[in-house]
Amino acid sequence: MSNPTVHEIKGTKDDLNYVSAKRPVHSDPSPDAKPLPKVTIDGKTYEFKPGDTIMEVAERYKIHKEIPRYCYHPGLPVAGTCRMCTVEVEKAPKLMTSCSTPAGDGMIVHTSSEKVLKSRNGVQDFLLTNHPLDCPVCDKAGECKLQDYTFQYGPSASNFKEEKRVYDEATTKLLSDKITLNMNRCVHCERCVRFTDDVTKTHDLVMVNRGWHKELEATDPALGLTNNYQGCLTDFCPVGALTMNDFRFKKRAWFLTKKPSVCDRCSKGCNIEVHHDEDVVYRYTPIHNEMVNGHWMCDDGRVSYNDIMNPSRVISPLLNYENALHSTTLETLLGDLKNKIKASGNVQLVVGTDSTREEAALLKDKFSDAVGAKVNVAYFNGTNGVSTSKDDMKMDHLLIMKDKTPNTRGVEDEGLTALAGNEANADIVILFRNGRAGVPKLKSNQKVILWGVWNHDELKALPTTNILGVIPGLATMEKAGSFKNGDGIVQKFHPAINHRGGAVAAHQVVGVLKSLT
Amino acid sequence: MGTINVSKKYTAREKAYIPAILIGMKITMSRFIKGFFLRQHDTILYPEKKRDYSQRFRGMHFISVDANKTENCTACFLCETICPADCIHIVADEREDENNVYGVKKEKKPISFDIDSLRCCFCGFCEEACPKDAIKLSRNYELAVSTREDAIYDLDHLKRDVKGRG
Repeated sequence: MSNPTVHEIKGTKDDLNYVSAKRPVHSDPSPDAKPLPKVTIDGKTYEFKPGDTIMEVAERYKIHKEIPRYCYHPGLPVAGTCRMCTVEVEKAPKLMTSCSTPAGDGMIVHTSSEKVLKSRNGVQDFLLTNHPLDCPVCDKAGECKLQDYTFQYGPSASNFKEEKRVYDEATTKLLSDKITLNMNRCVHCERCVRFTDDVTKTHDLVMVNRGWHKELEATDPALGLTNNYQGCLTDFCPVGALTMNDFRFKKRAWFLTKKPSVCDRCSKGCNIEVHHDEDVVYRYTPIHNEMVNGHWMCDDGRVSYNDIMNPSRVISPLLNYENALHSTTLETLLGDLKNKIKASGNVQLVVGTDSTREEAALLKDKFSDAVGAKVNVAYFNGTNGVSTSKDDMKMDHLLIMKDKTPNTRGVEDEGLTALAGNEANADIVILFRNGRAGVPKLKSNQKVILWGVWNHDELKALPTTNILGVIPGLATMEKAGSFKNGDGIVQKFHPAINHRGGAVAAHQVVGVLKSLT
Repeated sequence: MGTINVSKKYTAREKAYIPAILIGMKITMSRFIKGFFLRQHDTILYPEKKRDYSQRFRGMHFISVDANKTENCTACFLCETICPADCIHIVADEREDENNVYGVKKEKKPISFDIDSLRCCFCGFCEEACPKDAIKLSRNYELAVSTREDAIYDLDHLKRDVKGRG
């Protein structure tokens, strides 16, 4: 096995909406280099690169208390509209927005002076005049920045006695089949508008009217949102104005446990956080990784947890007895299959390109030995017309790749060869896949052994008489391993959830096969 | 190890028995006169007559409903979160558009709301946490059931008609 640099996926302790590249700034080591400029924030002096804003310096060095912000997002251009991140700069006549004010040499900044706190209190008071008190219904409650900042800075009571503003048309409006808008909750930070303008470049959203009547609308109301990154809108929306239909009302945010992992929906390998409660996954959200996915992830990947949580997934060993599949123990199943493999002599193991590098190496080196017969091992991709990593290409300017499996390059690295003609040619074909790779063409007289993540719908597509047995395997979120993505970056991950069914890891299956006589 | 005799010897007064009987009869007669002639009972005829407990008594739970018999609960899960006995189990869903006359105020609803009264410790935290004044504890203290299944209050049972606090 080659040994490329392995990057471990790290979870973030910060709110995932607000992770930014916290690279420390190092001085130029050459002797005639100019010293870096210095800024003093809350009594401590920090070096910075010329051009950094006060917010960026504060983020990079993680100053003791986060500067609150609604409109600022490290992945989006600066707007400076919310006025929440204002700080006091000495010798400046008024408070400055830290997100848009460049840091200067010798500048002295106070991020939580009395004047600043009074200003933030005022901003909160104005935002809360029109914000409805529907936290019990709102899906964002628990991870809402308006809630958090109200506890930290906001007024405990409102002075607003008049009627609240209500957008009758847009209280619960579908912007697309994925996103629901509740305009009453909006704080007009315009992150969503800047996202569609500068990140997806689809210009789907626009703010119409001004002042009191300012309203978010789809640029073409008939089309609605058209981009493939709509889930990101709900990630960075600081309030519950934009919510994802897939997650809406499923679970309250505070019940979720968050574990880092890698998305296996395409060869990009976006870093994700698996949000689960008692090993039931409710959603995926992206983790910031500048090398791979930045701050974003696509919608296909975001809802791909549904495949793992599919109620029809096979999670107990199935053995074919008198042309029907019966649930059995793993030892019984593997004993029966081992005898059949030995008796046949013409066996092919097809490894899906959605298996980890470790699994591919294990199956290539140890499987023939474990079953006691010569097994021909090949890999198969079979998604989107991709057969080798050379066919892989970017499908848009952001993240989506043509190869819909996560590890084609990793499997190739282990020395496996592609399945010739995308067609298995042996008496018994063992298909090892994790729910992402395709199923190769099978002849009507070929017997198959299914191994890995399968669901009953996929089983029905094959003639039952030909299935010798099904060995349930672990999905990506349930096992440890590493993927090499389409750009050649190797990412290591740990299990995010525990498997609660009868599926076992590949190395355990190989171990049991070897121990059986 | 010898046996230690801890019993004491009876005194002459105890051996005579009569004083002890007289003390007992005094209590019996005082109760008899109080109950039979003066009609001052310490007990009540329970199923026919019920004791009036405090207005703050915490008994069987109920969920308040509005004029259309729709529950006030919006499945915010605050009661489930605060519950120290872990006895509340809610499944939330969106109210269908055609049935929803309340708009965004009640767009979320519980499709099941189960309280396991055998686990419940009647602390009343759920009532305190509820932002919609939906879940309440009534003054009904007759919680006896014949099966364990009956002890799990479902949404239909919780939405029963309760006047005031029952």
